[in-house]
Amino acid sequence: MDTTFREVSSDPRTTQLPLSHLSLELGHLYMDDFAAGPGRLREQFARVKPWADAARAAATRTGGRRPRISTCFLIDDYFTRFSSPAEVLPQVLAEAAECGLVIDYLARESACAEVGAVRPARLAEARLVQSPPLGSNGSRPPATEVGWLSNGERSPSDQPGEAMQAAAGWQPPREIEARRHSVFLDVELWDEHEGRRTWSCPFLAAVWQLLRLGLLRDQGQEVLAPVPREETFPASWDSLPPLVRLNPAADPFAAYRTCSVLASRFLPIEHAVRVILAQWSPEESVLRQIAERAEREGLAMPDDVTDRINYVFHAPS
Amino acid sequence: MTRPSEPFSTVSPPAGPDLLIGEVRTALLQHSVALPRAAAGQLLQLRHGERVRTSERPSGQAVSPDLLTGVDCPLPTASGRAVRGVGTATSRAVLTEGRLLQASVRVRIAATGGSLRLPWGHYLARPGTVEPSGRLAGADLVDGHLSADRLPGGALDLGAIAERLLTDLQGRRVLDRRAPFRSRRTRLLWTATRAEPGGDGPGALFTIEDGTLRTLRLTLERVDPVAVAAFCEDLALHDWLLTTLVQLVERSGLGSAPGPEPLLRLRPAVDHLLHLWMPGARVDRALAPIWAGLETRPGFTRQWAATVQRIRDHLALQAIGLPAHSYQGD
Amino acid sequence: MLIFAISDKGGTGRSVTSANIAYRRALPGADVCYLDFDFGSPTSAAVFDVPSALRGTEQAGLHSYLRGEVAEPQRIDIWAETESAGLRPRPAQAGQLVLLPGDRGGGEFVLGSDTVRRCADLFLRLEEEFEITLVDLSAGRSYAAQLVLEATALPELSSVTARWLVFHRWTRQHIIAAAGLVYGDRGIMATGASRGHERDRLRDSVRFVRAAVPSPSSPMFAELRPAQALWLSICDEDLTRLASEHKLGPMLTLGTVPLDPVLQWREQLITDEDVLSSQVANLETAQAFADLAAALTDDRRWQSPL
Repeated sequence: MDTTFREVSSDPRTTQLPLSHLSLELGHLYMDDFAAGPGRLREQFARVKPWADAARAAATRTGGRRPRISTCFLIDDYFTRFSSPAEVLPQVLAEAAECGLVIDYLARESACAEVGAVRPARLAEARLVQSPPLGSNGSRPPATEVGWLSNGERSPSDQPGEAMQAAAGWQPPREIEARRHSVFLDVELWDEHEGRRTWSCPFLAAVWQLLRLGLLRDQGQEVLAPVPREETFPASWDSLPPLVRLNPAADPFAAYRTCSVLASRFLPIEHAVRVILAQWSPEESVLRQIAERAEREGLAMPDDVTDRINYVFHAPS
Repeated sequence: MTRPSEPFSTVSPPAGPDLLIGEVRTALLQHSVALPRAAAGQLLQLRHGERVRTSERPSGQAVSPDLLTGVDCPLPTASGRAVRGVGTATSRAVLTEGRLLQASVRVRIAATGGSLRLPWGHYLARPGTVEPSGRLAGADLVDGHLSADRLPGGALDLGAIAERLLTDLQGRRVLDRRAPFRSRRTRLLWTATRAEPGGDGPGALFTIEDGTLRTLRLTLERVDPVAVAAFCEDLALHDWLLTTLVQLVERSGLGSAPGPEPLLRLRPAVDHLLHLWMPGARVDRALAPIWAGLETRPGFTRQWAATVQRIRDHLALQAIGLPAHSYQGD
Repeated sequence: MLIFAISDKGGTGRSVTSANIAYRRALPGADVCYLDFDFGSPTSAAVFDVPSALRGTEQAGLHSYLRGEVAEPQRIDIWAETESAGLRPRPAQAGQLVLLPGDRGGGEFVLGSDTVRRCADLFLRLEEEFEITLVDLSAGRSYAAQLVLEATALPELSSVTARWLVFHRWTRQHIIAAAGLVYGDRGIMATGASRGHERDRLRDSVRFVRAAVPSPSSPMFAELRPAQALWLSICDEDLTRLASEHKLGPMLTLGTVPLDPVLQWREQLITDEDVLSSQVANLETAQAFADLAAALTDDRRWQSPL
């Protein structure tokens, strides 16, 4: 006879999320863009359209199945608050439709930071595992600057020296994965004033990628579930669900891969996003779930998270 | 510039001889009473958004989420051969009955890695794995790890990771730092290799190196990192209990000093340790025979039971007002 | 319990006395560790006679630990490693006696932001295991003293008892200097208070140890002419008055270590064998060490004199 004993609290389960093949981001909206009037919006969408079509066309290696592609759009309500959903969203949707684009999901940037009890940014931060410089053998903790993350080793600051010890001169910083020459980048993750933490734009953009890749969990549960849109949009951003499903027929929000079509002024931000995500350690069980499902669908998945992220940068606007 | 990573691969670990190395450090939690379940959960919540796993049978135990530490350094080879390893070490904290705190660190050594370091995401997709540059003889690494104390510095130091985790937890504000007695931390360095056909069969070699250092070499049919680490934590826990109890009895003067003094000195042990003995309770079925073997020789439970019985006999004699040494006095 | 040994100036025999206190405390069964925080001249190894155990200490001593270069400082088990025949083997009832040496060739260093954190971690770690952690600090106002004052001011260490032994010789200059070190500008009290220590509590945790005190009754002075003996006794009275004026009076003095030729010529642990069999050391000296060792935890001796 074989007996089995199990305690749920000692053997927790991890939620699976439905996945599309591709999450296609059609743009970010900041206050300045909106203030410039509907003409600016239309110009942006017109620039995005051909690249979005190209991204769709490229996403056909789906093992013979119908490609599942969901589109999304991010509105900043975190750094600056402007206007209201009731005024902004109909305009956005109308201009997108005018250019032949359908926005399936709409997210508020606050959704990446904190919405109610959900704190995606904290969840993402907790899983950063710094890339070790050569010589890291575990004997000392990684050199951290609180609130910063770099892709290498910083220039030594004025180290406490011993009495009568020779002084060292300036040393350059070094990118860990440099090939001979470094492109060293030090990313500010957040700052704090009077005990209140403000997450940086690159960090929230990294969280945005993780949400779209379906990689974040809170205690094994889904972090941000899309909410269907209501007939009318509310008068305040806080009343708008953090992630709204605008198109009832949309494919799932999260996807195996992401593609973002962005103006080239976002390039430094996205470089920072890659520095962050290159040092982000996915939960093993989540990674395995996704890999197993991809395999069942006959898809090849890169195991490096940053290799799941694609970009199109278009001319400035 | 960042190199493009290798195109696509699956998450499953590459085939090859499995080799695990690890270290467990065991200490008495620096708190006056057993930490209640809720506080234990809070203490071990080392990663926001990840669950502390708890179980109540057969004894209360809480296990922290796994933490990763990035390493890029020489591996500890006994021969002194320079083999660089890149990857992450997995560490976790275990609290048993709110009383005994352990930091457990382990690394799976991949069969071979490339000679160049890959983008960091490659290693993060294989948590707890270190890839050696070039070929590495398993025995060389096993010997090197188990004699890490005698090697020159600079090589992979799992003990340091464990030590830092223990120190961090023991310094937390929720602990009142009034432990019922003073005790030494113990260290268990362990390795687990897969039994090769035609080579040595499955087995274990447990060695007491000195007052606080123990080593364990495991040879197994199947090397499951989680199960092996749990086994080593269980062994380290019971070894600590036995070591500490024997030491407390020795220092108490039981059997040499007259009167109730020795028993008064042993009271914390009676209050806090005696009920913790449950060897093998959480051990994977495949590893149970190894516990059974250790119970035969050196016979952990035998020594524990004898020591406990000795304390209880003295207690009983005291209770009926008969000094245990009255016969010596005449 | 943390014990900090400090002296106003060099030459008080602070290191050798505190090493002997550690030894005397371990003999009857206490677990004791001795930390060499005399960063400018780490020499404790000589007192404990463990030269060969130190070969590995170039980069693994307290200097390296406090700078964050190693996770744990090297520990030397004195009973096992000492080359002094008189200390081996470990006496039957004795507790642990462990030395944490400085790096060989290490120097005094400026405090970095993490140094205090690491120092506090170390104290907490040792508190888990040892009844007495005796920390031998550099003479005078030093980074070492500042370091431990900052570390012990951290909230994590608030429940750990910390006591100070201030060593001084029995001369006018030394008495004034010792008072200055404790009560004066940038002294222990002023620095401690500025780092968050409660003033009264810190003051009550300081006791003085008079070192290398010539005892008029000692055989060394048996040959004194009456005029010399009188002069000596007048001086002693003067110094006693001076000490009281400077708040170094008998209530605040934990013990007195007599002048002993053995300690003058060779800094070493004084064993019972040195006193009883070979008689190279004076019984009074060994007794003074044992008394001090016992007084460390005798709470009556640490009550507030006010």
